[in-house]
Amino acid sequence: MKQANLVGWLFVVLVTGLLEVGVRLFELRDSVPAPSAVLRALAEGVSSGTLSGEVGTTLESYAEGLGLAIAAGIVLGLVIGSSRTLLEASSIVIEFLRPIPAVALIPLAIMVFGLGLPMRRFVIAYAALWPILINTLYGARGADRLLHDVARTSGVTGLGRLVSVTFPAALPSIATGIRVSASLALLVGVTAELVTGTEGIGSYMQRQQLAYQLPELYAAIVVTGFLGYAINVALRRAERHFLFWVGEGRLAR
Amino acid sequence: MLSDVTFDVREGELLSVVGPSGCGKTTLLRLLCGLTPPSDGSVLFNGKAVMRPPREVALVFQDYSRSLFPWLSVIRNVMLPLRRAGLRRGEKIARAEAVLQEMGLHGVARKYPWELSGGMQQRVAIARALVSRPKILLLDEPFGSVDALTRTELQDVLLRVHGDFEERRVTIVHVTHDIDEAVYLSDRVLVLGSAPGRLVASIDVELERPRVQTATRSSPRFLAVRNEIHDVIASREREAGHLGV
Amino acid sequence: MTAAFLNRVGRRLLGAVVFGAALGIWEAWARSEPSFLFPPVTAVLERAWQVWPTTDFLTSVAASLERLAAGYALGAGIGIAAGLLMGSLRAARRTLEPLVEFLRAVPPVAIVPAVIVVLGLGNGMRIAVIAFAVCFPVLVNTVEGVRAVAPETRDTAAMLHLGLAETIFRIYLPAALPSIVAGLRVALSIGVIMVVISEFVGASDGIGHYILFQQSQFNVPEMYGGILFLGLLGYVLNRLFLLVEDHLLSWHFRAAGEPTR
Repeated sequence: MKQANLVGWLFVVLVTGLLEVGVRLFELRDSVPAPSAVLRALAEGVSSGTLSGEVGTTLESYAEGLGLAIAAGIVLGLVIGSSRTLLEASSIVIEFLRPIPAVALIPLAIMVFGLGLPMRRFVIAYAALWPILINTLYGARGADRLLHDVARTSGVTGLGRLVSVTFPAALPSIATGIRVSASLALLVGVTAELVTGTEGIGSYMQRQQLAYQLPELYAAIVVTGFLGYAINVALRRAERHFLFWVGEGRLAR
Repeated sequence: MLSDVTFDVREGELLSVVGPSGCGKTTLLRLLCGLTPPSDGSVLFNGKAVMRPPREVALVFQDYSRSLFPWLSVIRNVMLPLRRAGLRRGEKIARAEAVLQEMGLHGVARKYPWELSGGMQQRVAIARALVSRPKILLLDEPFGSVDALTRTELQDVLLRVHGDFEERRVTIVHVTHDIDEAVYLSDRVLVLGSAPGRLVASIDVELERPRVQTATRSSPRFLAVRNEIHDVIASREREAGHLGV
Repeated sequence: MTAAFLNRVGRRLLGAVVFGAALGIWEAWARSEPSFLFPPVTAVLERAWQVWPTTDFLTSVAASLERLAAGYALGAGIGIAAGLLMGSLRAARRTLEPLVEFLRAVPPVAIVPAVIVVLGLGNGMRIAVIAFAVCFPVLVNTVEGVRAVAPETRDTAAMLHLGLAETIFRIYLPAALPSIVAGLRVALSIGVIMVVISEFVGASDGIGHYILFQQSQFNVPEMYGGILFLGLLGYVLNRLFLLVEDHLLSWHFRAAGEPTR
C-alpha cells in the first residue's frame, strides 16, 4: 500500500483555498462558482438523490453499451483473430469503420433510435467496440505459437482451443482494450446526454448551465470525475484479480 | 550494503576491485565518484570530501547501450563532456576526433552508437570518458557485455590508456568479477567479501609492464597471485557461511 | 509469380472483395426497401461528390482543422511541459499527482458547459476544451517516458555535470520521446473527437456542425457524407502522424532494431 500523499492533498486544499479567495475577491461568481458553494451543492445533490439519480441513469446506458461491446468485441476478436483468412477478409471493413468517431454518429443515432436509452446504448457500444475488438485481435494473433501447438497436440480443437488457449493468452491485451473503451464510452455517453438533453448527468449539466446554476454545474462535473475515477479503479482491481498470472510490467499502473 | 571498507587509491595506479556478485562493487564505485553519498564514513579526493561527481573523475558503465545516447552521433556523444570546457566548436571536434583515434576508432564519428559493434561502442564510451582528460577513470565491469575475444582487445586498450597514452598516467579503478582480468591489468587488487561488502584483502600484483596477453598470463607470478585471490575469496565465503562461490 | 506473392495479393483482394460486397449488399437492400434513414451508397457518394469540393464545405473543414491544430498544440505543449516536470522531479510529481489524477478522470465533454460560461460559444471555448482533453494522455505518457529512463543514462548525465534544465531537455526529453509520441498519437484521436463535440454546441461552421446541421435539415445523404468525410479525415491524419513519427524517431527504431514503417 502506498502511503497517503500528504503533499499532494495539501496542494489540492491550497488550490481550492486560493480559488475560494480569488472568486470572492475578484467577484467572479458570474463565471466561476466559489468552491464552498460547489461543495454545498455537491452535498445537497447527493443527499437529495438528484445527482446520484442522474449518475444512475448514465450508468444504466453505460453499463449496457459497454457490456455489449465487451461481449461482441471479444467474441468477434477471438474468432477473426484465430484465422488468417478471416483477418484479411475483415481488415478493410475494420480499417474503414474504425476511424469514424462514435460522437459523429450521434445525430444519425438520434434519427434512428430517438432521444432515449436505446440511442445512448448504441453510440456507447459502437464507441467501446473498436478498442476492444482491435486489442482482442492483437492479443489473439500474438498468442504464443507454442501454446497453440501444445493445445493441438493434446487434442484440443477449434472452439475448445479458442476458449482455453487463445482467450486467456489474449487477456492482457483485452484488458488494455477494455480500459481504453471504458473511458471512451463514458465520454461518448455523457456527450450523447449533453446533446439530447433528456436524462443522465450530461443533460443535467446542460440544464444547470442554461439555468446559470454554476455551483450545481460544477458539482456535477466533480461527480462525473469521481465516476470516471471509480470506473478506472474498479477495472484495475478486476484486472489484477483476474490476471494475477501476468507479470507486473504488463498490467495497468 | 558495504561495511568497513577503508583503502587508499594511489595516484597513477591501476587498481582492480574483485568480489562475488552482490558484494557491493558497483556501490563502491558509485561512492567513489560521488553518485551516492556514504551513510557512514567519507570519500576523500585529494583530501577534500566528495559530495557530488568531481570534474576530474570519469565513469564508464558496463551497459554502453544505456550510457551512450542513441539520438546523438558518436562524435557528439564524445564531445558532450566538453560542453563547459570553454573551447571553440572546432577545438572540441578536434579533441573528440583525436581521442577516438587513440581508441583505434577510425571513420565512425558521424555514425550512431547502435550502428557499431559492442566492442566499438565500449571504446566510444571510454573515449567519451577520456576526452575531458580526467585524473581518475572508474570502470564498472566495462567488458562484461562483449564477447571474449573483444574483451581481450579492450583489456589491452585499457592498458594503453593507463600507460603510454600521451604520457599522462591516469589513475584507474576497475571493478570486475573476472579475477584473471583483474590480475592481468592491475598494479593492485582489492578483494571484497559479500554481505555485507567488506574489504578482505589488498594484494599487490607486482608483474612487469607492459603486460602481454600470452606471456603475462602464463607467468608463475601471475598464477600465484590469481590463486591467492581465489583462495582468499573461497575461504571468506566459507567463513560467511555461503556454499561455494 | 510465386505462390507466396499470389497468396498475399489474394488476401488483399479478399479484404477488398468483402468490403465491396458489404457495400453492394447495403446498396441492394437500400434500393429494394427505400428507407429514409438508410440511403443507398450511391446516393451518399453522389452528394459527397457534389458537396465536398465546394468552398463552403472546404472552409468549414479548414475551420475544424484550425481549431484542432490550436487545441492540440496547446494541449500537447502543456502536457509535455508538465510531464517533463513531474517526471524529473519527485517533489513536483507528489504535489501534482492527486490533482492531475482527478482532472484526468473527468470526461472532457463534462467541462464544456463550464467553459461556455466563461468563454462563450466561440473558438476560444473549443480550443480550450480540445487542449484540456489532449493534455492528459500526453502528460501521462511523458511522465512514464521520463521515469523509464535507464539509471545508467541518469548517472551519465550526472557524471557529465549537466544542470537540471540541461538534463531535462537534452537527456530526458529525447530518451522519453518514443513514449511521448505514443501519447501524442492517442491525443490526436481524442482531439478529433473533441473538435466534433465542441462543434455540436453553438458552432456555425466545422465538420461537426455540418453533420448536426444536415441532420436537423433531414438531409440524410449529406449527413452520411459528413460522417464519411470525418472518418477519412481521421484516417489521413493518423497516417500523416505515423510519417512524422517515423521521421522523429528514426534513431529509436533503428537503435532498437525495429524496422521503420
